[in-house]
Amino acid sequence: MRYAVGVDVGSTQTKSVLVDEQGRIVARSLIDTGAYLVRAAERSLEMCLTEAGVSRNDVGYAVGTGYGRFKVAFGDDQVTEISCHAKGAWFLFPRTRTVIDIGGQDTKAIKVSERGEVLDFSMNDKCAAGSGRFLTNSAEALGMEVGAIGPKSLEAKNPVRLSTVCTIFVETDILSYLASGKKTEDILSGVHGAIGSRTVALVRRVGAEPEITFTGGVARNIGMIRSVEEKLDLAINVSPDSHYTGALGAAIFALERMTAGSQVLA
Amino acid sequence: MKNAPEIRYQGRVHELQKELMGGYYAQLTDIAKGRSTRKNAHLLIAGNPVELVRAFDMLPVFPEVNVLQIAARKASLPLIQKAEELGYAVDNCAYVKADIGLYLSGYEAPYGTVPKADLLLCNYVGCNVYLNWFEHLAELTGAPAVNIDVPFIRSADGEPSSEDVAYVVKQLEELIVQLETITGTALDWKKLKRTVELSARVGEMWSEIKSLTKLRPAPYDAYFDSVTMMAVLYCLRGTEEAARFFEIALADLKERATMKQGPLPEERFRVVIEGPPPWPFLRVFRDMFTRWGAVAVASTYSTVGGIWEFGFRHDPERPLESIARHMLSQNLCNRTFLQRYDQMDRYVNEWDADAIVIHSVKSCRLFSAGQGDMREYFVREREVPTLLIESDLEDPRYFSQAQLRNRIDAFFEALTQRRITAAADVAAGGVA
Repeated sequence: MRYAVGVDVGSTQTKSVLVDEQGRIVARSLIDTGAYLVRAAERSLEMCLTEAGVSRNDVGYAVGTGYGRFKVAFGDDQVTEISCHAKGAWFLFPRTRTVIDIGGQDTKAIKVSERGEVLDFSMNDKCAAGSGRFLTNSAEALGMEVGAIGPKSLEAKNPVRLSTVCTIFVETDILSYLASGKKTEDILSGVHGAIGSRTVALVRRVGAEPEITFTGGVARNIGMIRSVEEKLDLAINVSPDSHYTGALGAAIFALERMTAGSQVLA
Repeated sequence: MKNAPEIRYQGRVHELQKELMGGYYAQLTDIAKGRSTRKNAHLLIAGNPVELVRAFDMLPVFPEVNVLQIAARKASLPLIQKAEELGYAVDNCAYVKADIGLYLSGYEAPYGTVPKADLLLCNYVGCNVYLNWFEHLAELTGAPAVNIDVPFIRSADGEPSSEDVAYVVKQLEELIVQLETITGTALDWKKLKRTVELSARVGEMWSEIKSLTKLRPAPYDAYFDSVTMMAVLYCLRGTEEAARFFEIALADLKERATMKQGPLPEERFRVVIEGPPPWPFLRVFRDMFTRWGAVAVASTYSTVGGIWEFGFRHDPERPLESIARHMLSQNLCNRTFLQRYDQMDRYVNEWDADAIVIHSVKSCRLFSAGQGDMREYFVREREVPTLLIESDLEDPRYFSQAQLRNRIDAFFEALTQRRITAAADVAAGGVA
């Protein structure tokens, strides 16, 4: 049995997914990227192999993706995470036509063909406003774990309207709301609402064609899912593997290349 | 694909341009250092009356060209910061800040010294920041300043009204009086006609050079190599040496076209590029396209100082009127947004392009505003794959290499993937 692997070296975390020849996920791994990208990619692969009990020699093809894709030293090829999220989302939900990916530093809306090809995409400009980091900073400002802020935001009765999507200035905004006695859940609802609006604006630029699939680390946050659904007035697909979608897409590209040989992206 | 091939077009055109521009900057330095008593006027690129300046044997000086040359040598940031220390805002036009910073640094540039202006000739007022730029220079240097009020094009057909033309001609007549005072000589109409005739000839050859990129492969990159020729087109237009340069360039590029030589080993994508280049990172930026075999077959930036490919020529029999028409309608910046769409549409169709890349300029909202709509127009209504990316033309702080490369890679990956799928469909029995 041969295997294909996708390694997504993101700005915050590194994810790997190992698939078998039938495209079944046999292992996944998730670690913080840190400062040493080559090592992060290596460790992430090793964790996958250990989990699956697979030898490195059995890996037929590896694709690197994410900002650190060129640091995947063992990679046979590199593909941007835009193509990989499209591919991964389409693999998980074949009727996907629009992908929303909110990662650590950027937010993307991707229009996808019925075959998982990227038709168009739109991203935040060179500024992390409205990205995953915005949520992390908000959680820190409130002294909470990032995993807890989504559920908490759903308890809001009187959501505040946050005037900023700036990842830096949000901290002072939160402090001023706290000073004026606002409840944590109401502030968090404002935080999620601000990112939700910004995300939906990006989605509309490529056309919000259903089905819509939400990928990336932030898709684990129930507050964000609800915020985007409410603003789009549509139910969105979220997989338990959403965090691994980029790595999964890379693994599917790797699998295609391993089996087709010549049919590669350039 | 992953490593950019080193082969690129560095032919006679580039060599000769370096030589001519070296000579031009030596003339600037001679004036600045007092070795020449020749008068000079500082002008803007977008549609200018350089023929009139040349007819008086004054040397035209182009602050925009001066500062972009500095940016290309990675030396713009200290100048920009010098202007910011004076109070210019972070998001103010970086060309303006670099030029003000250059003046505050004694006009000493890496390629020579810029002379203080004898006349500040603001010929493009569509940008209110540019208007203030020359006013600030007037205040700082004490040089006389003239603003020629060039109305925006407002008609559906893109033509200026006869009143608009008469209005600009009248101002040019007033300018002649001013130039006569500065130089102490009367206008030599014969010399003006000859200068205009030379501009017409250069326009003709430049237009022919531009049509060469309709061929496959394009013999040069209409964005990255065009900027080389644009330096001569703008700084030396109206001179015999510019005409000679374009004769040689045309012959050289025609020969390359005949031999089917392109700037890259393989032309895999033909693109139209909108917007000025990020001068501080020109090579890095070019490599991002080279990696994918993407060649620009047309660019709007190459029309920022004049549009000749659609038929306009200066007319030596009507020198002032043709200069006025050039200033009004035959340059990118004075046109309406719909005309910009039309221009790009023609490039896509007549130059047979696969895609459009819009490079938006962070410190120029005037030119960049509306480019989001532009992208949507081409994607949705014209079904042309279009990428919008953003950095800056002068300020290196706005350039994020990883972010830009990510977007460019994703864009060409998607185009490649669609080609593979389409080819597979054809192979599978013409289902495409």
